[in-house]
Amino acid sequence: MNKVLGNKKSIAVFVLPAFIIYAIFVLVPIGYNIYVSFLQTDLMSPSKFVGVKNYINLFKDKTFTGALRNNILMVIGSLIAHLPLALLFGNILFQKIKGSHFFQTVFFLPSVICGVAVGLTWTFVYNSEFGLINKFLEIIGLESLQHVWLADKKLALFCIIIVVMWQFVGYHMVIQIAAMKNIPLSYYEAAEIDGASKWVQFKSITFPLIKPILKIDAVLIITGSLKYYDLVAVMTGGGPNHATELMSTYMFYQGFRTLKYGYSAAIGVILLVLCMCSVLLSNFVFRTEQVEF
Amino acid sequence: MKISTKESVFLVLKYVVLIFFTILCLYPLLWLFLSSFKSNSELYSNPWGLPESFSLVNYMQAITEGHILQYFGNSVIIAVSAVVVAVLLSSMVSYAIMRMQWKLSKAALQVFLLGMMIPVYAMIVPLFSMFNKMHLLNTHLAVIIPHIGISFPMAIFIMSGFMGALPKEMEEAAVMDGCNIYQIFFKIIMPISQSSIVTVAVVTFINIWNDLLLPQIFLTDSSKMTLPVGLTEFQGQYTTNYVVEIAAVIITIIPSIIVYIWLHKHIMEGMVAGAVKG
Repeated sequence: MNKVLGNKKSIAVFVLPAFIIYAIFVLVPIGYNIYVSFLQTDLMSPSKFVGVKNYINLFKDKTFTGALRNNILMVIGSLIAHLPLALLFGNILFQKIKGSHFFQTVFFLPSVICGVAVGLTWTFVYNSEFGLINKFLEIIGLESLQHVWLADKKLALFCIIIVVMWQFVGYHMVIQIAAMKNIPLSYYEAAEIDGASKWVQFKSITFPLIKPILKIDAVLIITGSLKYYDLVAVMTGGGPNHATELMSTYMFYQGFRTLKYGYSAAIGVILLVLCMCSVLLSNFVFRTEQVEF
Repeated sequence: MKISTKESVFLVLKYVVLIFFTILCLYPLLWLFLSSFKSNSELYSNPWGLPESFSLVNYMQAITEGHILQYFGNSVIIAVSAVVVAVLLSSMVSYAIMRMQWKLSKAALQVFLLGMMIPVYAMIVPLFSMFNKMHLLNTHLAVIIPHIGISFPMAIFIMSGFMGALPKEMEEAAVMDGCNIYQIFFKIIMPISQSSIVTVAVVTFINIWNDLLLPQIFLTDSSKMTLPVGLTEFQGQYTTNYVVEIAAVIITIIPSIIVYIWLHKHIMEGMVAGAVKG
């Protein structure tokens, strides 16, 4: 037994192919990316070492700080949109209610659809001439509220957050339901016998016991919001006039449109640091609050 | 059990909320589907109703002038080859980490799982530079290889969880019968891990199928593009001919919806499992 499972050669055959790909195309690039972020380079002509100048310039760059601000707005907007709504749906569907499985399946569906297709779908919904929203406002006699939604500097980001919510509420809901299913049914049976109402059951059993997952979910929403790309790239391209620019779209623009690779790599490093911070934070929070059933 | 009036009012209220959100989820997609059969002028004059006729003109145009089938084919090639390699290699690693006996197995698992928190943006520029030097830019390999690497953390997380829980007796019996390690893995472990393999395969497939960033950066030739990039090309080309673009979006969405209806249990389980680890 140990001879078969401890054979060095077969272990190498099982592990090395994946590890080599992972090392060359994931681990090495991350290190190399940090190095590139200290260069001024177009990757063709000789590059110049400029130290932290890229980072200093980034924080002087109004478009980048705007993108950072938009990302933060995205984080806040997504948190407000996702957590309470997902919790509401999750709690309704977790209880024995007819059609629970059907509703879960439907609510989850948008998160499976390609972001580009979702973005285009909503570009049509928001369209100023034939889009559903303006037509609906026309029918109920509120033409004064009609807008060229995605071209409006003040509204565009908000419109995109709505789409993010449409796409991912079901996803977060299913995560929370999965957590609720781990709670032993006997808790609810005992509460039922004691005559506790559904609301009391939620408040004193469900909510406290899924709190750890809610915190993880919050971190997922935060890292997700930092990584959004497709929707903005398709719906507004970062416009109008950089009003919906995110770090990801600005990184793409700086790297692959204006060929400032060092500058672009620095944005990548900042995104990496932000993501790692939120994950480390979650691990810290999670460890201290682990619940045993 | 008797239901009080208060409870039945609540029940109705719950259904109202659920049905409202169901409509919110499905109506935009249904509207888009109906619009894909309309002509441009019909789209403006009659956005709500059914199309005058269910003609496939827009679909034909999306296929002939929009090259949507070519994009479709490219997406299939990239997603299928990346998924096959990723699933095979990650199940081998997971098996080695959970069942084989070597000192660094736990450390290796940690290194792979670390990848879960890394955003792809932190490796895009170096990958571009590497592929440029390797003359791989503008080939499907430039998209396939990074996707394989990126998919390992989630795949290994799900598979190692499954394989760690398998009973040891099967392997012991197999060793008694004189099986070597490859027979054990391919003839015993792989078949019984089928459900987690399907989960990993489907979730990886969806991630790759939907991805815009990598093909957008590493492919320049329009004949090599994947569906999501192809759709963005439509935007520029047909700025006024919306209905053709709508038909192209429908062609992109339909396969995902069919796969979802077919395998939604695996998909929901897999996407949530990968997420909860964080």
